[in-house]
Amino acid sequence: MATPAALPPLPFNPARVRSYLLRLPLFTRLVVLAIIIFWLLELQTVWSVIQWGALAPDEIGLGSMYRLNTYPIIHNGFFHAFLNLVALTPLIERFEAEHGTLTAVALFLGPLSTFPAGLYLLIEKFLLHRNTAVVGASVWVFLLLGTEAIKTFKSHPYFSLGNYKIPTWTSPLFACVVVSILLPNTSFLGHMCAILVGYLFGLGYLKVFVPPEKILRWIEGKLNLLGRLPHYISVDQKTYGRYGVLPTTNTMGERGTPMSYLGSSQRLAAIRKLRSNPHFLYVHLPHILSFICVLAGVIWLLLLPLNDYSRQTYISENALLPGQVHAYFSGSEQNIFRGYRKELDGLLPNGAPGEGSERNDIELTPEISNKIQSVLRASGLKVATQKYEYTSAGITHQGKNVYAIIQAPRGDATEAIVLVTAWKTADGELNLNGVTLALTLARYFKRWSLWSKDIIFLITPDSKSGTQAWIDAYHDMQPPSVQPLPLKSGALQGGLVVEYPFDHRFESLHIVYDGVNGQLPNLDLINTAVSIAGGQMGIGTNLQEMWDHNDSYEARLQTILRGMAKQGLGYATGAHSSFMPYHIDAITLQTKGDGWQDEMALGRTVESLCRSLNNLLEHLHQSFFFYLLMQTNRFVSIGTYLPSAMLIAGNFTIMAIALWLRTGYYMGSKPKPSANTGVSRNEKQDQLANSPDKGKAKATDVEQKNDANSIIERQLALPLSFVVGQHLLGLVPLFVFNNLSHKYFTTATYTVMVADVVLPLLLAVLLTQGFTPKPQQYLLMKSFSLLLLGLFLSTLATLNFSLSFMIGLLCTPLSFVSRISPTTSAPFRYALAFVGLVLLNLLSPPVILLGGCWYTGVPVETILTQAAFGWDVWGMWTQVVVWCVWWPAWMIGCALLGFSLF
Amino acid sequence: MLVVDRRQAAVFAGALALRLLLLVLFPSLPDLLTGRVEVSTPISSFKRLQEGLFLYTRNVSPYDGGVFHQAPLLLPVFALLPNAREFPLPTALFYSLIDLINANALITISDSGQAGSGRLFSALRKHIRWDGVSIAAWFLFNPFTIATCLGRSTSVFTTTGILYALSNAVSGNSLNAMLSLGFASYLSIYPALLFIPLMLLCYDRRAQGSRLPAGVAIFAVQHLAIFLLSIAGLLGISCFIVGDFSQFISATYGFQLLVPDLTPNVGLWWYFFIEMFDSFREFFLGVFWLHLAAYVGGLTVRLRGQPLFVITSLLGIFAVFKPYPSISDASLYFALLPLYRHLFPLMRYTFFAVSALLYATLLGPAFYHLWIYAGSGNANFFYAITLVWSLGLSILLADTIFAALRDEWEQENPEMRGKEARQI
Repeated sequence: MATPAALPPLPFNPARVRSYLLRLPLFTRLVVLAIIIFWLLELQTVWSVIQWGALAPDEIGLGSMYRLNTYPIIHNGFFHAFLNLVALTPLIERFEAEHGTLTAVALFLGPLSTFPAGLYLLIEKFLLHRNTAVVGASVWVFLLLGTEAIKTFKSHPYFSLGNYKIPTWTSPLFACVVVSILLPNTSFLGHMCAILVGYLFGLGYLKVFVPPEKILRWIEGKLNLLGRLPHYISVDQKTYGRYGVLPTTNTMGERGTPMSYLGSSQRLAAIRKLRSNPHFLYVHLPHILSFICVLAGVIWLLLLPLNDYSRQTYISENALLPGQVHAYFSGSEQNIFRGYRKELDGLLPNGAPGEGSERNDIELTPEISNKIQSVLRASGLKVATQKYEYTSAGITHQGKNVYAIIQAPRGDATEAIVLVTAWKTADGELNLNGVTLALTLARYFKRWSLWSKDIIFLITPDSKSGTQAWIDAYHDMQPPSVQPLPLKSGALQGGLVVEYPFDHRFESLHIVYDGVNGQLPNLDLINTAVSIAGGQMGIGTNLQEMWDHNDSYEARLQTILRGMAKQGLGYATGAHSSFMPYHIDAITLQTKGDGWQDEMALGRTVESLCRSLNNLLEHLHQSFFFYLLMQTNRFVSIGTYLPSAMLIAGNFTIMAIALWLRTGYYMGSKPKPSANTGVSRNEKQDQLANSPDKGKAKATDVEQKNDANSIIERQLALPLSFVVGQHLLGLVPLFVFNNLSHKYFTTATYTVMVADVVLPLLLAVLLTQGFTPKPQQYLLMKSFSLLLLGLFLSTLATLNFSLSFMIGLLCTPLSFVSRISPTTSAPFRYALAFVGLVLLNLLSPPVILLGGCWYTGVPVETILTQAAFGWDVWGMWTQVVVWCVWWPAWMIGCALLGFSLF
Repeated sequence: MLVVDRRQAAVFAGALALRLLLLVLFPSLPDLLTGRVEVSTPISSFKRLQEGLFLYTRNVSPYDGGVFHQAPLLLPVFALLPNAREFPLPTALFYSLIDLINANALITISDSGQAGSGRLFSALRKHIRWDGVSIAAWFLFNPFTIATCLGRSTSVFTTTGILYALSNAVSGNSLNAMLSLGFASYLSIYPALLFIPLMLLCYDRRAQGSRLPAGVAIFAVQHLAIFLLSIAGLLGISCFIVGDFSQFISATYGFQLLVPDLTPNVGLWWYFFIEMFDSFREFFLGVFWLHLAAYVGGLTVRLRGQPLFVITSLLGIFAVFKPYPSISDASLYFALLPLYRHLFPLMRYTFFAVSALLYATLLGPAFYHLWIYAGSGNANFFYAITLVWSLGLSILLADTIFAALRDEWEQENPEMRGKEARQI
């Protein structure tokens, strides 16, 4: 009773289904194959198969007669194809078994497709004057049902329902009616035509079109089709079918000639051989799958810029109403702007700044700060200041933020919009015009009575730390070195940063949107800015420094890649970035180029944007938070792009699972006796003890069986602690690089580079000498390391797609390196391991960092200072991913190669 | 365990040092963990305990304000400890000691060998086992245990009650076992469901001894009486502490039974009851509780020979289907699982289950972040991950139960040992 055999059997026997499918005759197989292939062909979007092959009455001409034959094998999507296949396969199999393959080919390529089609065309076009295109194998289904019904009618003319006698030949008609009622978009007329032709065929009126048996037999004999083609059914054998023997058993029983199975059995044997070949299953297959995953991931990304995979942007939040209001910021406001500018110029060291580089050295002095405050106060705003100081990598960043609040005449101070102008732009340029514009706008906005949200004007000394200090303090999350805010407003709904770092007119607006750690603002905000600038003001917009974007594939891809690089590195790209962690959507508008737009146009754009944000009834939430922009008006959303990073992360998981299985079931080409652990040996002893009466031969038989089925015991302690230890070791460089003074960064990078060469070898020596791990344990190390890597990367992909993609791509070699088996000849092994180590070292984190620095021409020290600043101030965790995910996995990969040296 | 061997001392010292080290290196870690929904549930949260404590020390009923839902006996204990906000070290030390005590109970359970061979059943591969210290190390260095300890969840006291009930039961002290179980049930109701298998364990243990006890029925009635008396005693003391009996009952047990607080947690109830129409709420409450209780009978009958395994599996089931589960429940299940080292060779989906749990462990906080902080995800993100977590635990459970059944089956059919058998 403990045996599970007491359970009832399944309602159908899978083995029988399998044998039925394996015995399908040739033409049926070809039809099924054709239908599946055409369905797969439809998945692409370049060439519309349905338009090409459908039976569309108006398209039929002399040149498109092929449609009369192609329409039955083309389908309208998966379910259409699937349902028709399920219905068609048994019918057509029966037909073929009865009439032979050659007859079936002749009939189905000829009259049985064209007659219903012709009938349909006649009625549809000339009687009904309509033009409904039809596709699908249901025409054959109903045709064959018609013939079957006639056959049934001959043996059983009626079936009775109560007192009524219903002729059996009507059954396809019922089926047709039911189908057209239940399933949408079925062609009742098409089905009726098919049934009619089926009746005619069943009644024998179409016998004329069946090729004479003599000819068929002659062809068959001449070409030896029976011998050559697998699953071929001879014309001769149809005689058995006519006497009512079930066609399937018939073909099986009578066609026992081994010849007819020859072709298929060879193919099957090859597959079976692969399936029972453990070396292929456990060693080659995972590598192939992993490689395919990586390849698919990369190709997926490359497909994204195509029109079919990306979408046009649209404003999702209706309340925004971008560009629906007239912007009045013009005319006399320009005089005010010039006045303020003059006042500020007067406070600069040498009066109005020129265009030279010394322009960018001008700091926000206390006098200027006071002047800004007095201007804002004079405009009637509430003004406050905040001092802050940050220390990172031995450098102190300090300054004083000035901010002022316009209290909403129509609001209750529960919501606010922030307008930020930093004295220095994100690129370190003097943003004099931007600050002046903010002062002018403050005065201008104050006079409007339509604001329903408070407007905060924030003027910070720089773009890196000022906003961060302010926003932290706004949410009471500031570190002790940052002053709290004396004056606050409501929840921030959106932020705009304005940069105008030169004195001449500008040509276009550059929208910067990347936040810290790759967080992005709601797409609606960017869309609003683009649509206001372009649609209302006539100012062009650019993204990701793509100044001449011609909407080509290359330009789109380049935009995506630039966006991904910024997102992946996770640094703050402007003053707006600091807002993102607090779930406040913000963007930076930068003026670029030399054109004919002046500060008034920029002011009107900002005004219109503020009016749109002012309209918001709730926080921006409608549109996407995860997207890749490839053009100001084109994007891909997370559902489309995420699979590429997931595929790359998945490649590691596949490898990890495969290695785990391999350590349990298959070790090397010939399992050594030592691979059997105490468990199985003890079991065997128990067995021998329990069954002493069994012969020795039988016992060994059992032993062998045991080897095949039971799992090899895995020894996990060493691999687990090695992998966990490596990950903990990553904390050391993380700590060092975040706390070192900036002077030592270059030295530290080179030190780590050298350590990366030495440490894996050292670990390899220590482990091989100290623990003498088994071959299985090396595989387990790799398995755990890759499992963790896949785990981290797939989690990361949901948070920061680009970082996960980049790290995943850089780590792909790790799936394919492992300890080289000591059975390979020593010189070859050493050479291979050495080459592998060199190549891996070229992909080590410090080398990649140095390579990146060399490519961009930025010194290492600057980048690492920036990174440390990001860690200390912005809460950036790119470093954590590098040192605690990438570096340990890389280290273990190198150590595995190192093991093969010792 | 009077004789303390050196390995055990090393493991205990290491575990204690690791906890204190984490506290010293990352002073904000305990508060972070206390706020995590995976660690703290409304019935075990340390924050809520502190709220109750605040009211209690000011002579206000701790249940006023509707925040505190834990047993009142905890209050005088914690009132003795200095304020955790100003002096976090004593509280952390206290919790670490509780962990060590739990580990000690685990060692007793493991060393008794009851997991491998009991009165009615003896596993085939019982020689494959880990010793008590390894199992204690497995428990003490489990990240979930450490997180629970640092998050100062009060569910560790329930864990202590359950583990001591087990350790007393396997050592033959059925009276103490019942008292411990009474303590655990008093703290959080669900351990009461363990009464039947625990009683059977005590009975088997007694029957293994020199004199055969009287019939099971009398034994059961006696022990039920002890169990109920212990609970009644604890309730009496609580009443003495709190004063208002009905308020205390409705705020603690009523709260646990009726599940009014639907704060997200790793379990399956909160999302379901958020979506539920109010008129069906009572019905489904009944169904959910019935579902949880239904496993007791089935498992106890089917695995009559292995009551300790029944308790282990039930603890796993509770970790999935309890109203307010946390990772602490999972850590209790993971603590008892290594006792069944001899079943591991028969298990089939360990890697898959462990991978699912690891994925859920990482993705859970990530999705919670996307939902609550970044605002770019929604509740379904986190709920999907709690489903994966429950799936991982369920697979592990089903796999161990399969392994136990297979073990029994091989016992009955020695000729099938090690051979592949297929269920049809």
